[in-house]
Amino acid sequence: MGSVTKKWLFLKVSSAILVPLMLWFAINLASIYDKGFEQLLLFVSSQPSKFLLSLFLIFAYFFSALSISEVFEDYIEDQKIKNAANKSLNIFAIVFPLLIIILIFSL
Amino acid sequence: MENKNPISPHIQIYNWHISSLVSISHRVTGIINFITVTLIGIWIASLLLGEENYVFTNFFLSSLVGKFICLGIIWSFTFQMLSEIRHLIMDLGYGFEQKTTKITGLIVLIGSFPLTVIIFIIGRVLI
Repeated sequence: MGSVTKKWLFLKVSSAILVPLMLWFAINLASIYDKGFEQLLLFVSSQPSKFLLSLFLIFAYFFSALSISEVFEDYIEDQKIKNAANKSLNIFAIVFPLLIIILIFSL
Repeated sequence: MENKNPISPHIQIYNWHISSLVSISHRVTGIINFITVTLIGIWIASLLLGEENYVFTNFFLSSLVGKFICLGIIWSFTFQMLSEIRHLIMDLGYGFEQKTTKITGLIVLIGSFPLTVIIFIIGRVLI
């Protein structure tokens, strides 16, 4: 299987997993966005929201990194700039959600 | 080695169709969602600063602007969900007829608004 086919497959699988997670998060966002500190803390630190929120972050960043790299592919002509943009995007899409997930599980 | 792949021409040279509108909106909402999820991460991280420091964030999110931002985020997520479902159906080989692409495109574009309201109401009333 070629790297482009793999990328397409990863994009589709992550998209199929992300849709229900996104729906779950959107419903809960409407419920908690204006709640106080205690209620927000309770939501983030209790199960199953702790687990689902972590999954949502992992798949949201994985999917975003793949799809934004397609935008880079289409609109950035310079190969060096494109590589740098992709590397920065990938590093951010790994490090940032990892930090937030560690934080969620330490709350 | 120099990349000889063609890059996409600028969107301004094309006539607008529903499919192109859905496609560009899909890309724009994708980038908005990337920024939004990052802000949500920062919002969660702000819990570390303690209850006293959350007062201003809570005041801002409880305001009319906060409600508007919440609805905007839900719309952006809803648009992406509908558009992704459309893409997944097309990946299975369905919905390529011109009339069908127009109908599914309209479902994504128009349907995202009532679905946003439904999701918001479910979140506020049922949870």
